[in-house]
Amino acid sequence: MKLNLNSQTILVAEDQAVMRETLKHILYEMNAQRIVEAESGVNAIAAMRKTSFDIVLCDYNLGTGKNGQQVLEEAKHLKLLPFNAIFILVTSEQNPGMVLSAVDNKPDDYLIKPFNGQQLLNRLERCFMRKHALADIEIELDQGNLYQAIGNCEKLLAQNDKKMRMQLLKIRAELALKISDFKTAKAIYLDVLLERDLPWARLGLAIIAFMQADYEQAIDGLQDIILQFPMQLEAYDWLAKAHEATGNIEAALTALNQAIELSPQTILRQQQIALLADKAEQVDIANKAYRAAIKLGKHSVHKSSRDFSGLAKNLLKNNPNSNLLNLVSDLLEQFPNDPEARLRAATLESEIYGALGKNVLAQESYEKTLKLNEQFGQEAPRELRLEIAQACFKKGDSEVFDHIMQDLIKTNIDDRKFLETITQVCSDVMGENYAESLIHRVKQELVDINNNGVSLFKEGKTKEALSVLEQAVGNLPNNQTIVLNITKIMLHDLKTSGSTMAKVQKAQAYINKAVQLGITHDKIGGLQAELARLASIKLK
Amino acid sequence: MTKLVGYKRNWPASPALNSNKIAFMTDLQALTVHFPAILASSVHDMKNSLSNLRALISQLESQYPTAKPPEFKQLEFESNRLNNSLMQLLTLYKIDASQFNLNVDESSVRDILDDIVAQQSNLLALSDIELIAECDDDLFCFCDSTLISNAIGTLVNNAQRYCRSKILLSAKQEGEYVVFYIEDDGTGYPQNFLADSQKTFGIDLITGNTGLGLFFVATIAKMHHQVDRHGYIKTDNASSLGGARFSLYLP
Repeated sequence: MKLNLNSQTILVAEDQAVMRETLKHILYEMNAQRIVEAESGVNAIAAMRKTSFDIVLCDYNLGTGKNGQQVLEEAKHLKLLPFNAIFILVTSEQNPGMVLSAVDNKPDDYLIKPFNGQQLLNRLERCFMRKHALADIEIELDQGNLYQAIGNCEKLLAQNDKKMRMQLLKIRAELALKISDFKTAKAIYLDVLLERDLPWARLGLAIIAFMQADYEQAIDGLQDIILQFPMQLEAYDWLAKAHEATGNIEAALTALNQAIELSPQTILRQQQIALLADKAEQVDIANKAYRAAIKLGKHSVHKSSRDFSGLAKNLLKNNPNSNLLNLVSDLLEQFPNDPEARLRAATLESEIYGALGKNVLAQESYEKTLKLNEQFGQEAPRELRLEIAQACFKKGDSEVFDHIMQDLIKTNIDDRKFLETITQVCSDVMGENYAESLIHRVKQELVDINNNGVSLFKEGKTKEALSVLEQAVGNLPNNQTIVLNITKIMLHDLKTSGSTMAKVQKAQAYINKAVQLGITHDKIGGLQAELARLASIKLK
Repeated sequence: MTKLVGYKRNWPASPALNSNKIAFMTDLQALTVHFPAILASSVHDMKNSLSNLRALISQLESQYPTAKPPEFKQLEFESNRLNNSLMQLLTLYKIDASQFNLNVDESSVRDILDDIVAQQSNLLALSDIELIAECDDDLFCFCDSTLISNAIGTLVNNAQRYCRSKILLSAKQEGEYVVFYIEDDGTGYPQNFLADSQKTFGIDLITGNTGLGLFFVATIAKMHHQVDRHGYIKTDNASSLGGARFSLYLP
């Protein structure tokens, strides 16, 4: 497979006309035929909406709007880039992988200015080869099929291509982490470290320690990495998480601040700081971070209406005044037609008017909240739903309060930490037992449905069992036990009454859902292997 | 920052001026504290300006379809040199400020050499100098490939100034090291440039050679390590082409 620019559709995003001309000139000299240009981030996104590009050459610095990294993030978020497209970030930064490092969404490569045509071609060819080599993994990942991606990664590793080896090992270990197969991941990282002291392998070990709740070891390992590789920014993020897990919010904040000093453009870190500082009631730090996040968010797909409401709530506590209403209108302006933002704005407005003693307006906004909640409430983030529930309780709308709480408990029945939060919130307003009895009731319902499904299955009524359990998934979408049992029954059905493509795909979808819900490899790995076996029998 | 502006005026004319001396001390302290950062941000700015300059040059160049004036070669050569020096200064600053670490990965040595040749391609096309690159396709090395190809590129760039007609760029495995060689057919290194890894290199005011390129690659080499084996460089005149030979050892 050789890269021929002749057949590629190329986007050149660069704000300076001179540079744009030069790049186009270079590309035409290398036989490129189809080049589209954009002089700003917004136009780059617009071009990508219109055309599916094979290659995007995007400058980091695009003037006052979005920068190149933000263009990449938005393009990925909106799925504007085909999985085999090459996205290259052009920069004059010598150490771009580290300095510009975003929390996620890395470009396929960086190209450091200045460069000539031959250098660009070398880079494009290498990206093309790599993309081509990894395509089998990417296709499966694109579909959410982690186990198939792992299988393909193993196959590529077996080909023993030295050029790809380290990358494949890294991907293999990361995939193992995604299915909580710590044993495999650890073995790979240790093997790599024997060969060479590479920071990503050390980071991998620290992440495993974190995931296994061995926070002390995680912290030790991460601090060690930071000492030797100060630009390994992901280590700061994990260090913050580990400190937070041990309750040391102060240390978590310090770690995030260090990372921000080294790479100031990351909105996700600012948002993290704001939430942590709020938790520790460090209002000044929180507000500073909210403001930074709002500013960075102007051009970022990671912008969140939560940053506005977080800031507004802190300011409201400190000094209620009508200027806060400006923040609400900013919020609505930044998020046009966004239900979550409208919900937040209405909730905030009601609180602000209430604090200012304007009761009629406060009531109006509250009614708006209720209406929006009825329309969009279920899709809202759970922290916002909790807040709305509390507002309803204050107004004496215990029916809405009940409804929201029940729904929250049902959708988070496996999340012990969040259930604790709910219990806390409820005991503040309704007394100790309210949440506990609600949780108990939901759990009982769960047990009943599950038992019903299992006994139907034991009686040989596979179809009925599945129908009972699948109905329950609609009601309790995030419950591990039900999803696991459905998968098991489906496999049994495949084995006994033969498999069809549709059945195999459905079973795979449930396995993917199980992995997504955090069911670990030791529970689901066997089922996946069984499904693969059954599917291959069918193919024969 | 404003304090810096006044520092020359406050240079103590006489030790008797005590108050001035204190002012000077503070200003000088401010200077020592802020100067590296100012230097670094200025260098960064110069680099941006340079990259615009290069874009303009290449646009001008494209207006000469066939017979391009030979000055373009000189322009590209000088701007390459300038860019490399600025990049190296900036990297050294960051190393000093603990804002830097190597980005080590297993890299194909062939790819690194290809990058270096590519970097010089425009220049070589315009000159009579031949750059030969030689290495095994299955040679791999753990290193920060961006940095290494840049550092070696600078030295190849230098070699073009001193060679007669040929530069040989090669790499091979030697024991536990991968060694990169740059050899030329010039008159060889002057005496004060012949050194093993640890020594700093002489500054030659007559040729204008600051030794930055060698100092840089020596620093980067040393940062590459496997357990307690560190990288190092060597300069000698044992080139198979009869001139200077530079060797970079990476563990």
